[in-house]
Amino acid sequence: MKPADKKAYDKDYSNAKKTGKPFFPYAIYKDTIIAGLTVIAIIILAITIRVEVGEPVNPATTDFIPRPEWYFYFAFELLKIFKNQDALTPVIMATFMVPNIMIILLVVWPFIDRGPERRIWKRPFALGLTVIVTGLLCYLTWMGANSPSGVASAGIPVSGLDEQATKGMAVFMANGCTSCHMVAGVGAPGPGPDLTQEGAKGWDNAKMIAWFKAPKAPMPSYASLPPQELEDLATFVNGLGTKYK
Amino acid sequence: MTTKDIGPKNPVQKGAEATIDYVDDRSGIKTGTRWFLFRNIPAGTSWFQTLGFTAMVVFGMQAITGIILAMYYVPDTQGGAYKSIEHITNEVTWGWLVRGMHKWGASVMIIVVFLHMARVFIWGAYKYPRELTWVTGSFLLLLTMFMGLTGYLLVWDQKAYWATVVAVNIFASAPILGPYIGDILRAGPEFGPSTLSRFYSIHMLVIPGAIATFIGLHLYFIVRLGISEPPWSKRRLRIERDEEDARRAAAREKAKALPGSANYPASWPVEAKEAAR
Repeated sequence: MKPADKKAYDKDYSNAKKTGKPFFPYAIYKDTIIAGLTVIAIIILAITIRVEVGEPVNPATTDFIPRPEWYFYFAFELLKIFKNQDALTPVIMATFMVPNIMIILLVVWPFIDRGPERRIWKRPFALGLTVIVTGLLCYLTWMGANSPSGVASAGIPVSGLDEQATKGMAVFMANGCTSCHMVAGVGAPGPGPDLTQEGAKGWDNAKMIAWFKAPKAPMPSYASLPPQELEDLATFVNGLGTKYK
Repeated sequence: MTTKDIGPKNPVQKGAEATIDYVDDRSGIKTGTRWFLFRNIPAGTSWFQTLGFTAMVVFGMQAITGIILAMYYVPDTQGGAYKSIEHITNEVTWGWLVRGMHKWGASVMIIVVFLHMARVFIWGAYKYPRELTWVTGSFLLLLTMFMGLTGYLLVWDQKAYWATVVAVNIFASAPILGPYIGDILRAGPEFGPSTLSRFYSIHMLVIPGAIATFIGLHLYFIVRLGISEPPWSKRRLRIERDEEDARRAAAREKAKALPGSANYPASWPVEAKEAAR
């Protein structure tokens, strides 16, 4: 906005104020009606859809479904898009880059868009941004709401399991790994990567166990598992796609 | 008691007036109230401009229901937190309602704050001179999101616990500052009893304080700069119509001097007419 535009705006706004109405009661009555209706809506929601008490926390059995509140579903879905370690879709995009760029853009937006025009149909870029951002948020939230929270299954359809790998698969199932990882079509398609071909990486058990104990975010640590279970789990995961297909 | 036009004032009324004057002399409360309540706003102020006030009222409701919940809640990871939530939901009189209102209020607050932001964005209301109103408002949006994040853990059930473990891991994975932020949120390297107390304190002391401060700033900017006028208010549309009419009139004037129009002087020589074409 040029100084002349600012001056014109100030003059126009002071005219609007001069021919205006006092805040009390002309604005406050509308405010009170909408706020009152909103509070009534909250009370009706609280009465009709009761809040449940869930399962108590048990950090030892990690049989969990990491599902956030619905207003974080978009971030959760973002994790599923950028879940790999490759250059195109690195996980850091979802955990750091995209959220922080969005936050910075949000805060400094008035210093980016400084044109004098206020009518939305004459601001095609702002209109496009509104439609795209709102659309994306709704789409990702909807995706999050409909995502499977860990596909229940008795086992994973892989063959060639030896005794240790069978135990490892039981550990894998019991600890909710399938609520983030997919193996041979079983489990949720994210936030974690598909592990069907994990054995192809050629890791040894010690490296895999170190990973279980101190993994890269957002995967939680499994350091609390007994050493034998970690060993079985590592054997199972390290053979996926190579020994166990 | 009926008062008459003449005679000494009722001593109660006299006392009340003297008290108000005493306070006003020292605080300027009368001027302040007048400045806040009886300021003029543009006549076209719309129903869409009630969302900010609504967000503030929902925040107030969250504060009240939150205070009531805090009277019964125990931030104890050895089963106490979970039991106190059960107690509130199943035993405390109206406890289920207060908890329900707090939980639904959080969702509604997110929606109202988002709609409020969308309204401001679509109307271009963040433009000069209201840039800083937007900045304070954007911080309020972020703080509201953090409120949801920290409150989610307090019920201490499996779903909330593991979602929060993942969320804190995400914060901790940020470059450079990440590990420190992770330690601050967890109150140490691992999730434990101190983590719950920390989230409880952040949820009910730190963020509400920050939100109240930013609401104060936000309101101050709104009252000082005035609420924005809808870009298509009756007054604006009239001005635009007048401008359009003036532009058309000017165009007509210009057209008169052009060949081919009715007002084109017929007395001009043919050669001049040809040359003008």
